[in-house]
Amino acid sequence: MKVIKIEKKDWAGGIGKIQDGYRLFGPVRGENFHDFKALEKGESPDLNFQNTRLSPKSVVYPQTEVLFEYSLDEKEVDHHVMKDAVKDYSPKAVLGIRPCDAAAFLLVKRNFDAPDYKDPYWLKSYDATTFIGAACNNPCSTCFCTTAGSGPFCEEGLDILLVDATDCYYAKAITAKGENLLKNAGWNTEADGGAAEKIETLKKEAEAKISSSVASNQLKSKSTNELYEASFWEDVSFACINCGTCTYLCPTCWCFDIQDENSGSSGIRMRNWDSCMFPLFTIHGTGHNPRGTKLHRVRQRFMHKLKYYVDKYDNGIQCVGCGRCVRACPVNIDIRRVCDMMNSYDSKACACSEK
Amino acid sequence: MLGYIDKIKEISKRLLDEGKVDMIIGFKKGTMPMMNEPCFVKTPDEASKLVWDSNCGINLANYLTDRKEKIGVIAKGCDSRNIVTHIIENKIKRENLVIIGVPCKGMIDRRKISAMFDAEVRQVSEEGDAIIVKGNGFEEKLKKSDLLQDNCSTCIHRNPALYDELAAPLVEEQKDIDKYADVRKIETMQPSEKWDYFDNLLSGCLRCYACRNACPLCYCPTCFVDEANPQWVGKSQDETDIRTFHFLRAYHCAGRCTDCGACERACPVGINVRAFTKKLEKDCFEMFGWEAGISIEKRPPLDTFKPDDPGKFIK
Amino acid sequence: MEHMGVEPGRLNFSWISSAESSKFVDVVKGVTETVKALGPNNNFKKAAKVA
Ligand code: SF4
Ligand code: SF4
Ligand code: SF4
Ligand code: SF4
Ligand code: SF4
Repeated sequence: MKVIKIEKKDWAGGIGKIQDGYRLFGPVRGENFHDFKALEKGESPDLNFQNTRLSPKSVVYPQTEVLFEYSLDEKEVDHHVMKDAVKDYSPKAVLGIRPCDAAAFLLVKRNFDAPDYKDPYWLKSYDATTFIGAACNNPCSTCFCTTAGSGPFCEEGLDILLVDATDCYYAKAITAKGENLLKNAGWNTEADGGAAEKIETLKKEAEAKISSSVASNQLKSKSTNELYEASFWEDVSFACINCGTCTYLCPTCWCFDIQDENSGSSGIRMRNWDSCMFPLFTIHGTGHNPRGTKLHRVRQRFMHKLKYYVDKYDNGIQCVGCGRCVRACPVNIDIRRVCDMMNSYDSKACACSEK
Repeated sequence: MLGYIDKIKEISKRLLDEGKVDMIIGFKKGTMPMMNEPCFVKTPDEASKLVWDSNCGINLANYLTDRKEKIGVIAKGCDSRNIVTHIIENKIKRENLVIIGVPCKGMIDRRKISAMFDAEVRQVSEEGDAIIVKGNGFEEKLKKSDLLQDNCSTCIHRNPALYDELAAPLVEEQKDIDKYADVRKIETMQPSEKWDYFDNLLSGCLRCYACRNACPLCYCPTCFVDEANPQWVGKSQDETDIRTFHFLRAYHCAGRCTDCGACERACPVGINVRAFTKKLEKDCFEMFGWEAGISIEKRPPLDTFKPDDPGKFIK
Repeated sequence: MEHMGVEPGRLNFSWISSAESSKFVDVVKGVTETVKALGPNNNFKKAAKVA
């Protein structure tokens, strides 16, 4: 696909042109870290960031989302009927999403867009969104995207890849959606032949800067039961406080909980993010909890990401290597270490060898 | 504080060797700069993996709740006070514990340090009272006293309140500390300013409950926010529900909170949740002369009645 | 509560024995007056709907 050259001085102007046609989201600098926010009119995203503290998954999949509304007022004709909540599925665009986070949406899509089950809210929201990726020239030391099915210049899940070539941006349209956005923004100067080469060089440089990795090649062939019974879980889970930070920040975690909330004679049915790290996630009406201890819960998180997902979709691990959980876990539980432990686990050898 | 570790290892090894404890709870080296991971050690050989430096801010009392084994636990000032609180509240038996006290010189605030540099901080080490921060293409030596966690800079109980062994000689306590300047600042605001202050404080809250889960006091089997029958608090990102969680949790910690800072440290978005608990801590001190976790002999003010308890608010 | 911005006077505590009927009346009157003077409560109201 063609590469467009965007002079940096034309950047804000182009954004101005698309802000009426799209609801724009982008990284905004807060007090101590960047986060994806809806951009005000005339606001440009701040691309001077490594990655945001929270993942951009909330742009498509908000933490709290109203699904239905209802009335209990018998004077109304449609009382006690669940009505679809009014939603805005007009086009939106995320400016400056990192490639790993865009790839994460594809992982999540396998769950929300399965042959026998489709999540209409997620899908409509996802389909309405154009993703403009900001290639990562300076990955963090905790990024391991290149061994987790993604990469600093990875194009999967993106509509446009934006490369910062210091004196200008190169925008590579990857899908028709992307091409459209470029057209609407008035960015139409085709870059010369050197651009592709320049992008390739920057890509190589960025990939060389990725300093951490995971090994996942053996996961598929391991026995689920043996991994489940592995002796390292007590050690791995000991420090965990089951706070759920890792799953809330993760671009690939998709679990939610449904709640009704009543106020007077009307109410809503909504869904809120949930997390397998919470005891409440699995507790039964009887009070019995099949995942009653934190060992169960920590094991579930890693087994889901690194074994069940691998087996079910045959498409790699449920992790894109963004490193957020590693950076934010208050007690430093590190998926890279756990992944390697699982990948190299041999139930016959002594499993207590601690790194 | 780096020097403490040899002694900590020696004590841990001895306790395990002699069979005085089944496990030691301490810290091992983390995979990230400025992070250590709480861990347990069950054999004398493994004691060599223990570490101690200025990155041990997690409160280890949190890992003792309802445990039945004989445990050797490494405890700085605030941890020991939370252990005392645990003993008073019957969450752990005194006779099952060997407390390895660590006279503390304060923990460093990793967020403060990261925020000081535009580039990523990749390596942090310490040398006496200096902290050396390194990243790609920069290296700086900073004074540790400027980098302390907020609660550590105003801490007046650095020495453990209760211990069986000591990892080092007791340290001098900080004097002339104005512990509650931040609380007083809020106290002088108008009601609407106060309301806005807390609204703003909580605006980024995710309701992940890391603050609650990191806190040794928050051990209820079902927290009031998780209760479904009756349901006390809504589950969405509604700000009223978020605030309800925070202020009620603070009340539940009244007279128990040691201002250890574990809650603030754990918060993924860096919210100073101590703004709630500290007010109550201050009130307990001013009204009842009470500081939590100082002695296992005394009962806390909220479970005793004295005729001279302040009661002016009752009309 | 006052520390986080609930106006002084909106929340009241009283200890009234079941024999102190006149105190009860006085307190209720007093509280009603102070709260009316404060005007409608705008805090702790749930926003109608979460988007
Ligand atoms: S962030 Fe860390 S402590 Fe919190 S639930 Fe995840 S692994 Fe456990
Ligand atoms: S598991 Fe961790 S590293 Fe992997 S995608 Fe989720 S937050 Fe990122
Ligand atoms: S790791 Fe846990 S929260 Fe994340 S998707 Fe899997 S089960 Fe859900
Ligand atoms: S509320 Fe916070 S400061 Fe107080 S004891 Fe709990 S974790 Fe420590
Ligand atoms: S840890 Fe922070 S984000 Fe999580 S519930 Fe507490 S204040 Fe909110």
